[in-house]
Parts: sequence; structure tokens; C-alpha cells
Amino acid sequence: MTFKAFIIGLLATFGIPWLLLVVVPYSTMRSLDPVEYGKNSEFTGAFVPKRDGRIKEGSRIFGQEGCALCHTQVIRPTYAGNDVHRGEWAGLRKSSSVDEDTRRETIAQDFQQEDVAHIGQTRVGPDLSNFGRRLEHYLKLNKSSRTPEQWSLMHLYNPKAVPRYEVPETGAQIITAWKSACPPKSGLFDEVQVNGAGHGNLPVDIGEGIGIRPTDRARALASYLVSLKKDTLGNPLPDALNFNPKAPQSEE
Amino acid sequence: MAETNSTPDSEDVVLRSSIDRSLRHPVMFLFASGALWLVLSIVLGLVASAKKHNPEFLTCFSWLDAGKVDAAHMSAMIYGWGSQAAFGIIIWLMARLSRKECTASGVILWAAHVWNAVVLYGVIRIMMGEGSGVTYMEFPSEVWPLLLVCYTIITIWSLIQFQVRDAGHVYVSQWYLLAGLLWFPWIAVTAWVFVFLMDGHPLMIAGVAAWFKGTLFTLFFLPVALGSAYYLAPKVTGRPVYSYNIALFGFWSLAVFGPWAGMQKLVGAPIPQFLPYAGAASMILILIPAIAVGYNIIKTVIGNSELVAESPSLRFTAAGIVLFVVFGALSVFLHTVPALKLTQFSYTGYGFDVLGLYGVFSLCAFGAIYFIVPRITRREWLSRRFIKWHFFCSLYGISSVVICAVAGGLSQGQGIEDLSQPFGTMAERASQIGWGVTLAWAFLLFANLFFCLHLLLMWARLGRRSSHPTLLDAHHPTSPHGPEGEVDNYSSASA
Amino acid sequence: MDHTRDNPLKRFSAFWIAILLATSFGIALIITQPFAPDKTDKAYEMVGEGRLEIKEEIDRAQNDALNEAALADALQAQAKSFDKNTESKGSMPIPSAAPASAEKPAE
Repeated sequence: MTFKAFIIGLLATFGIPWLLLVVVPYSTMRSLDPVEYGKNSEFTGAFVPKRDGRIKEGSRIFGQEGCALCHTQVIRPTYAGNDVHRGEWAGLRKSSSVDEDTRRETIAQDFQQEDVAHIGQTRVGPDLSNFGRRLEHYLKLNKSSRTPEQWSLMHLYNPKAVPRYEVPETGAQIITAWKSACPPKSGLFDEVQVNGAGHGNLPVDIGEGIGIRPTDRARALASYLVSLKKDTLGNPLPDALNFNPKAPQSEE
Repeated sequence: MAETNSTPDSEDVVLRSSIDRSLRHPVMFLFASGALWLVLSIVLGLVASAKKHNPEFLTCFSWLDAGKVDAAHMSAMIYGWGSQAAFGIIIWLMARLSRKECTASGVILWAAHVWNAVVLYGVIRIMMGEGSGVTYMEFPSEVWPLLLVCYTIITIWSLIQFQVRDAGHVYVSQWYLLAGLLWFPWIAVTAWVFVFLMDGHPLMIAGVAAWFKGTLFTLFFLPVALGSAYYLAPKVTGRPVYSYNIALFGFWSLAVFGPWAGMQKLVGAPIPQFLPYAGAASMILILIPAIAVGYNIIKTVIGNSELVAESPSLRFTAAGIVLFVVFGALSVFLHTVPALKLTQFSYTGYGFDVLGLYGVFSLCAFGAIYFIVPRITRREWLSRRFIKWHFFCSLYGISSVVICAVAGGLSQGQGIEDLSQPFGTMAERASQIGWGVTLAWAFLLFANLFFCLHLLLMWARLGRRSSHPTLLDAHHPTSPHGPEGEVDNYSSASA
Repeated sequence: MDHTRDNPLKRFSAFWIAILLATSFGIALIITQPFAPDKTDKAYEMVGEGRLEIKEEIDRAQNDALNEAALADALQAQAKSFDKNTESKGSMPIPSAAPASAEKPAE
């Protein structure tokens, strides 16, 4: 084999997958046309899922803290996995407190405003695609006085100390203290001197006159976590993206 | 170890000796610093693994938080150990095979120091929580161009040596090394541009990072390991490679299937559907080069089982190649669609990556290091026992990884796919598997502490002055490597 | 040493060939990327169109209601009566609240 034949062979065997797997898909996905609501829909214009919170910054911190190592953010189509049917991962199920099933699989528009999609490496902890939705729902159902941000900050500080809400498939609501495998993130919190009530600190008691204050990074991360709502509640899918359309209602 | 397949040609020996002398500083530095990074990365891996089943372990140190320490562990292992071991092997092997002295060893040594500084900086930034946030490319964005520049300075001389080699037959190892040398910048520049420089869709950025991680193994670490194996197997046994045609076939099959690997980590994500499945298909087809290379190398050394038992380099290399065949076979099973459902987000992926990086690449690299270091330091290894412990503890560690992570990951994945099981079932299984993986890292730490110590002693020129190589079996009456065991140590050769 | 294959010139050209080969795909990227524009903002622009329509309507209504002469007069009147501590009229009628029906408090 001559050097020239070798180089040509190498360029060809590398160049083709380089084009087909990397360059063309990357360039195409960069220039996706916005999906518009169809004529039958009550909504008009482009479909842009609403995301509320410090998404860009929080997403970057999510990646930097390595949360993507243990948590995924993808609800796979059923040919690739059972995520849609697992608990409340994909959205809220229809039940006495929920009018409509809001579950859906992940779509490409779900990661807007983030620098990189945190698909995740392993599932040591649950999938987080709809973490914000679940949290809000459970806190409301259980009439908790905590806001979702507060719960998230407590979880980041000490995952074992915060009640977890489990909804078995029967729909019953129970509060359990879970053996969470999530490690505490002490780096996201500062210990501060507290004289008196201590505003903005976490409700933990670790000693006289010491409070735990979340850093800006912790707040951004909590804001991002609470914004994770990738279901159809408030964001109905346009026809082009809806792989599970409702049967058409009969005309009255 | 003597080359019994050629008559001792004193001019040839002088040339080899001068080649070894010319690159002794950069190569020894790369191997020694690589070994230190290996120990550090295994310690970090031990901490990361322990935190998965014991989350309260070491929470007092915020820079050791679980996600960050795991990212630091993998980055240190790949860029601290793996890359430097690969560079050392490439530099020495290409110089020897092209029969050219190294004329830029000062520059290479300097660039190797900078590489270490940059990797250290990147690892510290990751542990401070200031990494890039991109899974599989966790170094902050400014690290990558620095690594690419150092890479060019370290390896371009090998490319030049190849082009100015004497006319004659090109050996298959040279093709593997040449390919690896070119593939690395191709994948690294592409990944750096698409992930960090350009504004792309977040999903495709994740996809390109996963592609980079996959092809880094199939197109850089694997070719270097295979090139080294193709050199050592005939060299130590004194027989030619079993089949040159199979060798070429194995190389080109890797070149065809390798570049498609990586995106199988993103099955089910809303990217074009063929992308992850192309990655899975290529990982299945990796069995073909695995069988070709495995068959070729094993046929070359077969019938010489005493040599495999005695020679550290051959023993490690043969183990690495056998593990490559195991890797290929496992890969077929793990990347089918039903298996992917179970294993995609379980311990399996991690265990499989470790099997590749440690079981295949690192074992072959150890084989090369045990061969090269005596030649460039002109000393022999000090302790047969250290080498044996290194070997057996590595084997125990890798088997634990395969059994616990790869097999356990299947049961873990099955726990989450089975909708009748609550989430806790999967979490319990993961915790049990975690203990097994932590134990595996403990074995590997033990093994590599001895390796590192042994290598540092050689670097400090404290090896045995002897013309008998250190063999693992002391009971052989005569050296199988000929009388006096030719180490290229001619006192008459001038510098 | 075979001088026809290894000389400084050959080494120099080998260096640049190596650099060219290593950066070949980087160069290919530079060539291909301008053909793939970034349209991620287009969705936001489309959603923004509706908002911009509403904004234009409000702007038009506010511009129509703006009566610059009356505003200038009112400011002058205000300036003249500044020291008299009396109320002065502005340029726009004061909107009066709609009469609210309230119960007479029980006595």
C-alpha cells in the first residue's frame, strides 16, 4: 500500500461519516424552520415552548456540577425505552386532581436556550425532564408551605432531609423519606453568621448563630430545575410534532 | 530482549541504540507523568464510585462533589494517562520503525510539560465547578486549543520521520500509528469547533461530544494499542506476524467502522434517528477488526506459551488483545436494540468504556512500556513481583468491572424498564453494583501503585544494570532470548 | 542514511504536508459552515410578531392622544401659578372613576 493510497483511503473512510454523522446533521439542526401551529389549532404562529427561569445559566451549572452524570433529561419514544410510562416522568397522568394526561416524549425544541442538551449518562436518580412539573404538583397536592425553589435548594443541600413525594401507579399520594443516593452539594452553600432570624437562609439548624445561605449558583440551579416542565400543560403540541393526537371529537 | 529473527548487525544495533538515546527524555517523561496521572485518576474514580452508593462519603470537601469528581476522573484518565502513554509509544515506535533518530526531543519534552500543566489546570477547573458543562468534554473551552497545539508539537516529528523513512516495506504498525496520528486532530478539531466555537442546536452539541468520546477510543487509543501489539508480538516471539493480509484487513475494517461510533449514547433523543443507531451498528461491527487482530496476534504467539508467561511485555500485550476480542463480543451483545433499552442509562456504559480504556488500551500500553523503558534507560526492571502484582491485580480489577458494571447494569436497566417495579428496585441494584465497581477500582489502584513506583524507580536510573531482561519466570534454565540476552547496550556506541 | 529520501528540504515539506493533513478537516469545516446559517432565532421572531403588532397599536393610540399644544399651555400655566399653591389643570382631562354603588352604612 502506498502512502498516497493510504491517505486517500483514510480521508474517504473518515470523511463520509464525518459528513453524514456530524457536519450535515449539525448544520441542519442549526437551521431548523420553526414549527407552526396548524390551521385547526386555536393557537397561531410558531411553536415555542415556554420556559421560565434562569435557563441558560442554570443549565450550565447543571452540567458543571455533574448532575448529568446521574440524572437524564430525555423521555425516549417507546421503541427505545419505557420512560413515558414510568411514574410522572413524562408529565402528569389523568387522576382525580389532574384533568388531562399531559405526558409526552421529548422533542427537539425542549432544549431551547440551553447551550448543550443534558441528555444524561446514567439513571442513578430519576429522569428530570418534568421535575418542575412534578414538584409543583406534589407540593400543591400535599398543601406544602414550601415553594418549589425552596424545596430544590433543600434538596441540593441535603437530599435525605427533604420529604419526597411518591405517587405509585394507583394514584395515592404518600410522603416518604427516601434513601436518596444524591450526594449533598456543600459547595453550593455558604455558612454565614446569623444574628436573629436570618433572611434568605435555608431552614436547617446546624448550630447557634450559623445559617446556611444558598449561593448565586445554587439559586440559578434551583431556578433551572423548577423550570423543567416538558409536557403538554400550557404548551400543547402543534400537529406536526404530536405523535399521540387525541381522537377527533364528533360534531355536536 | 533480543531480536532473534535477525543476525546481530552491529550497524543496526548502533542505529537502534542511538534512536533510543535520542528520545529517552521525552518518552520517559511521558510514561512517568502518565503513570502518576493514572494513579491520581484511579483515586478519583474510587471516590466517585464510592459516592454513588455512599453519598455522604467525603462531603466535607466541596471540590470532591460526586459529579465533578467523576468528570475529573475520566478526564484525568484519558488526557493525563491515556494520551501521554500513547504519545510515548507513538514517538518511540515510529522512530524505531522508520529508523530515524528523534531530532526534536527538547521541543517534545517542553510540549509534554505544557500538556501536563494544561491537563492539571483543566482537572482543577472541573473540580472547582468551572468545567464546560458538556458531558464527555468537561474541560473548560480554552483547554482544547492548548491541547491541540501541544499535540501537534509532540507528534508532528513522528509524521515527518515516517515520510523521510528509508525506502522499503512499511510495517502494519506504522499504518496504525499514522492513522491514529491523523485521526486525533480530525476528531478533536471538529468536536472543538462544533461544541465550543459555533452556536449549534443543544442536542447536536451533545451528539458531537458523544461522537468525540466514541471515536477517541476507536480512532486513537485502539490504533495505538494495536500498532504496539503488532510490533511486540513478532518482536518478542521472534516469529513474523501470522498473516499480513489479515493485518491489513483488520486495519481497514477499523478505519471503515470506527468513525461511526459514539452517538449510541443518545438513543431515543430527538435527533435524526439514524445517528444513534449508526453508532450502535458500528460498535457491533467492531467485532470484525477485533476478531481479525485477535486471530492474527494469537496465531503469531501460539505455541510459545512459555514466552507469554515469561515476558512481561508479551503477557500484557496478549492479555490486552484477548480483552479486545472480549470487548468486541460484548459490544455486539450490548448494542442491539433490546439490550440498548436496558443498558443505555445504567452502569453498563461506564463499565464498557473502562474495559476499553483500561482492559484493551492500558494493558497493551503496559506491555509496550515494559518493553520500551529498559531500552531507553539501559536498565532492567527491578522487581519481578511488582510486575506480577500489576498484572494480576489489573486482571482482577477488569474482571470485576466487566462482571459488576456490565452484567449488573443489565439487571439495573431491567429494573427501571419493568413498570411493575418501583424506582427503588433499580436504585437498590445500582447501589449493589456500585460496591462491586468500587472494589474493582481498589484492585486497579493497588496494581498501578506498584507500576507507578516501579516506573519512577526506572526513571531515577535505579534499575538493574544487566544484560539479562527481567522475566517473570525465574525457573527457566536458559534465557529464551538467546545467550547473554541482547539488550542494546553497546558500551562502544558513542552518543 | 539514504540522502535522496532524507534531507532538510524533504523534512520541511514533510512538516507542511503533515500540518495540512492534520488540519484538513478543520479547513473543510471552515469551507462548509457558511452554507448552514443559524436560524434558531426565527421561532422567537415569529412569536415576537404578534407582540409587536399589539405594541404598534398602543403606540398609535398614544400618539393620537398626545396633544402637544395643550401640554405646552398646561406647563406654562403650571409655571406661572407655581408660587400660588393652587391646583392647576393639566393638558388631559382627569379621568373620573366610575361611580361605584355602595351601601349606606347602617346608622
